[in-house]
Amino acid sequence: MRRFKTSVSSLLLLLCCFLPSGLANGNEQSDLLIKAEHILTGDGEIIEPGSILVRNGKIEAIGKEVLADGAKVIEAKWVMPGLINAASDLGLAGGTSEVSAEVMPDFDTSSIVDWGSFAFRHSLEEGVTTAHVVPGTQSVFAGVSCIVKTAGHGEQSLAPYLMKKDVGLTIALCTDPTGRNQARGRPDTVFMRQPTNRMGVVWILRSSFQKAKESKTTDELDESKLAIVRKALDQSLPLFSVSRTEVDLQSCFTLQNEFGVQPIIIGGDEAYRIIDSILERKPKIIFTGLSSTARNSGLRGEEGTAKRWNVLGQLEKTEATYCIAGEQLLDQARFAYRFGLSREAALKSITSAPASILKIDSEVGSLRQGKHADIVAMDSDPMEFSSAIQWTMVDGKLISNP
Amino acid sequence: MKRKGLVLFVAWAMSLAGFEASATADTLAIQGGTIVTVSAGRIENGTVVIRDGKIEAVGNDLKIPIEATVLNAKGKIVMPGFVEAHTSEGMGQSNERNDFVPFLSVVDGIDPVLDFFEESRRNGVTTTAIVPGNNTMVGGQGAILKTAGQYVDDMIVKRKAGVKIAMQPASGSRMGHLARLRKELDKAKQAVEKKKKGEPESKETAKPAPETNTQEDAPKPEGTPEGSAQPDANQSNDAANASKGLEVMMDIVAGKTPVFLYCDSAMDVANGLRLAKDYSLDCIFVLGRTAYKAIDLLKETKRPIVLDRNLVFWEPDPRTRSETKVVLPKIFLDAKVPFVFQTGDGGFRTTIGSSYLWYQAALAVKYGMTEEAALRALTLAPAELLGIADTVGSIEAGKDADIVILSGEPLRTATWVEKTIVNGKVVYDRASDDKLKRLLSPKAE
Repeated sequence: MRRFKTSVSSLLLLLCCFLPSGLANGNEQSDLLIKAEHILTGDGEIIEPGSILVRNGKIEAIGKEVLADGAKVIEAKWVMPGLINAASDLGLAGGTSEVSAEVMPDFDTSSIVDWGSFAFRHSLEEGVTTAHVVPGTQSVFAGVSCIVKTAGHGEQSLAPYLMKKDVGLTIALCTDPTGRNQARGRPDTVFMRQPTNRMGVVWILRSSFQKAKESKTTDELDESKLAIVRKALDQSLPLFSVSRTEVDLQSCFTLQNEFGVQPIIIGGDEAYRIIDSILERKPKIIFTGLSSTARNSGLRGEEGTAKRWNVLGQLEKTEATYCIAGEQLLDQARFAYRFGLSREAALKSITSAPASILKIDSEVGSLRQGKHADIVAMDSDPMEFSSAIQWTMVDGKLISNP
Repeated sequence: MKRKGLVLFVAWAMSLAGFEASATADTLAIQGGTIVTVSAGRIENGTVVIRDGKIEAVGNDLKIPIEATVLNAKGKIVMPGFVEAHTSEGMGQSNERNDFVPFLSVVDGIDPVLDFFEESRRNGVTTTAIVPGNNTMVGGQGAILKTAGQYVDDMIVKRKAGVKIAMQPASGSRMGHLARLRKELDKAKQAVEKKKKGEPESKETAKPAPETNTQEDAPKPEGTPEGSAQPDANQSNDAANASKGLEVMMDIVAGKTPVFLYCDSAMDVANGLRLAKDYSLDCIFVLGRTAYKAIDLLKETKRPIVLDRNLVFWEPDPRTRSETKVVLPKIFLDAKVPFVFQTGDGGFRTTIGSSYLWYQAALAVKYGMTEEAALRALTLAPAELLGIADTVGSIEAGKDADIVILSGEPLRTATWVEKTIVNGKVVYDRASDDKLKRLLSPKAE
């Protein structure tokens, strides 16, 4: 069944054994018909049993009965869409932040992705087929994010590729950018810079937004940076804000009042404390609080964040737009379900919900006609810890798990 | 009517007498649940009768004693409490700075107030072996404890459960480390042989002079009493400790005390097995990350292996930097080497789950272990490994009443521990777990 390789570890050999054996040569792939006992479409529907017809990397048809003459049949037990990690540093090589300045909107993650990084394989292994690559949070304006597919490029099905550039501008509305700045004293350090506390973070955000709004810069370099900020201001470029605590989230809303921006929140650990504001403002939240609770099972985490395990269960009640992001997505969704999120919402939160927040739901995130054939097959109920991934398909290319 | 009155009376008496007094006086009956005995299969709609902290009877049509407090477990699973075979939690610091300290005991360092014990009860762990950390050559005596009790003495199952020996040095070379370890074991072996021959213990072995201590080839770690202000007092302390240490080492080479042998890598396993053979040590193998590579050697060991807490990880090749996924349960299942679990996230690629013993078992099922075997690896297998299977590890008449009542089938995502019973006393009740309620609460405080 699942073969396990310990001794031979050369990349080449690995690639060889993962190359799908049943695919036709060349670009023209033969049709594949996946017959599954249970299909979880990712947007709430369950088809039991059902079939999915895959043609040229896309889902050609899905339903109880799908007619497909001459298609190669693959039997499966449980299938669901490939998972989407809405906040990752996947493949980012050589540091995730530019720390020499606090305003770096022109820092572009798509330009520093190491496409040979093994992180893609790790993600694929966990069923992640699409990932949003956001810059690190050492700068207040951290940079522009991109979306990658973890595999499926060209004939070599294991090669990851860039799916979308300039996805959004990421700001770090939290204390992260102040992190090492307080350690002054050495004049030669790059950390002789702003901000040194949360007020400084907000000040930099506000002054940069103001500067971009006034639009009176003669400095070309400055102007290229401000042009990106301006796009975020007029909402032609989505704004992502890394904010975890209640104070961070409140600051988000303050900026929303002042500049009319609608930040998509990455973090949201303490969102449960401002449920009323969330009801009112309906921000989109990419929740990363479950992966950071991991280290300490206690009540308080970094930045003194009061930990709650069931933040998502509460967001579900408010009908907010949210998803789960970070490492071990499937396990996170399972724990979210254990802690009180409904089963259906837990599945959505790692498939269709992140797709819609990232505005790529016309292409990925659910098993629907015309979308990428990104499919995860499991040997049992995906919501159980004891269920294993049998294979993953990206763009119609079958990748078996070791 | 009569029973209700009695229950009320008992409740009143308990509230008067407080927490402690109710420890053994209760008669308890767990009724209507599905009993997973582990030793003798499942009993549907079964009853467990508990008296004086022990399981009195298990079965289908048991008569419930009139004085018993009845716990209704209808629709629930009744299981033996989980047993963790090895942990260094539950103490402030688990490694002594001096690296040869066989005379130490974890009992002196265990703090029952620590969150670790509360978390253990919350997750169904009723017995745990607390052993000194992995960074000390001979780290001292481990103990087996129940996870409930106000003071450490209330919790002890076995005061001397085994001595931790680490095969890898915290600093310096493996050569020096192993040479010192052998030297100490040789000393102990000679002392045992002398004792066997009936020779009176020479002054030298019983109370080694201070200079034997200071003559060690390897550098002394910081913090040894050498050169401190009161040399005389320290010297006599050293001598006393050395003598105490020798006794412990003698018990080890005589096979009276088991050894928790921590092997960081495959070579440590090979070295460890040689040591075990040379000095007839009774070893419990506790593995580090890459020690699985000695899987063929591990087949020789008689007892189950304690696996590294990271059951699944990626291992980079030092030259090509390509990475291979390592799935420990699968490797050990394929090799038919029995194993048990330990918890903790080990600081690498944080997982939410690996801090729970039940999660480790669910992961093993994911990679091919049968559920029955996984449940055994949570209960009876570690109990056997620790030599306490006569009192814990399964639901059998005569054993300690260490029982968990689960809300549903074990190892399922949505299953919670409803009640944890230690020595016949309910020590965790989910219905009154305010901390859990707060973590799952719909509202901010």
